[in-house]
Amino acid sequence: MTRSPKKKIAREIASFPSIPQAAAKILAMLDNPNTSAEEIGAVLRYDAGLTANILKLTNSSYFGLPSKVASVRQALVLLGWKKLAHLIMTACVSAVMDKAVPGYGLPMGELWRHSIAVSVVAEGLAKELEMTGVDEIFTAALLHDVGKLVLGAFIKAETDSVDATADRGISFEKVEREVFGTDHAEIGARILQNWSFPEQIISAVRWHHEPDGAPVSNPLIDIVHVANVLCLMIGMGVGREGLQYHLSDGAVQRIGLKEGQLEWVAANAVSWVEEILLSFATQFE
Amino acid sequence: MKQIVAVGDMKVGTNGDILVTHALGSCLGLIIYDPEAKVGGMLHAMLPLSKINPQKAEANPYMFVDKGVPLLFKAVYGLGGQKQRMVVKAAGCGSPLGKNAMFKIGERNYTVLKKLLWKNSIILEAEDIGGTASRTVSLDLSTGQTLVKIREESKVL
Ligand SMILES: [Fe+2]
Ligand SMILES: [Fe+2]
Repeated sequence: MTRSPKKKIAREIASFPSIPQAAAKILAMLDNPNTSAEEIGAVLRYDAGLTANILKLTNSSYFGLPSKVASVRQALVLLGWKKLAHLIMTACVSAVMDKAVPGYGLPMGELWRHSIAVSVVAEGLAKELEMTGVDEIFTAALLHDVGKLVLGAFIKAETDSVDATADRGISFEKVEREVFGTDHAEIGARILQNWSFPEQIISAVRWHHEPDGAPVSNPLIDIVHVANVLCLMIGMGVGREGLQYHLSDGAVQRIGLKEGQLEWVAANAVSWVEEILLSFATQFE
Repeated sequence: MKQIVAVGDMKVGTNGDILVTHALGSCLGLIIYDPEAKVGGMLHAMLPLSKINPQKAEANPYMFVDKGVPLLFKAVYGLGGQKQRMVVKAAGCGSPLGKNAMFKIGERNYTVLKKLLWKNSIILEAEDIGGTASRTVSLDLSTGQTLVKIREESKVL
């Protein structure tokens, strides 16, 4: 590394795009189970494209709704507030995350596929483990690698020293820290801080590769960690660093995950992800 | 024709075809080829044993090593391939860092494969197995050449 890139990275973080206003508002409403169609409508009013995308997602076979949904009000009745909120977040986040990431060797669509995959796998694991109070998990998983969008260009420019450091076999976030003084998890957390996201989501992003390093452990962190590693293993958005991340024994034990549960979710993951992405593909006809 | 083998899928082909699979992490990539008949196939299986999810195994047997491997051989026999001429190669079966046994799905995939092959007296001619790499594998059915690509580097398997 020629000079410390930390300043340059900090500048990139500061100028990183924000996500649609609707996302922050929806997050603030997430805890209120009585959220009404009027309140949701007020948030979405000024973004017709967003509403159209939300309805397309609602009609994806992932949710298995019997008839075609034509309004947000109908979606709320059929899906319930929590699921609809996840869906609105997905539509908001896609604008930011659906990009190619050079440096990590992720062509257009792969980071997005990975983000969707980690979200549905995290949800699937939480359901298998019968966890409650983890409503923010979907959003945390969706955004866990947002930092790659900043660090990717720096990795691309330093491929040789990154590869040489990676060849020592240490976990890849440590490789990033050694070469750049920071890693994509830390960068992601700072982006989410700038977006004024809830603390729990920020910490799940911050510690998604090192759940044992978190000052306060939290099932949200542990599940995103485990879901991420599983998705890399089954090739959903795996980059040129491959599976070179450390899987935390502690996280597996804290959430009480069993082998059968892990493999059951893995077996379903591919079709869950395809169902959601298929609905997205129809957006740009 | 070039055909992509998705996760939990299998493809077979004849002279002139190329089979490719991407992003082999802990999944097993199995490549079989009869050099005389110039027919072959490729499997990209995710999990070792189908009993974990019988419903899924019914709908998609190629997701599992125990179901997918016999079906791959059968499909290539159907194209005129013969067991005694078959060249068999394996790639993938990687693992993340760390000691957690539950996440050694790649190792379990490999173990189930080896048992199946051993039971049927089939020799594994070449393999590129384990580690943390994400692999892309291709099989050229006109020559039988099998390439494994890690990062930007390809080598012949
Ligand atoms: Fe990550
Ligand atoms: Fe990730």
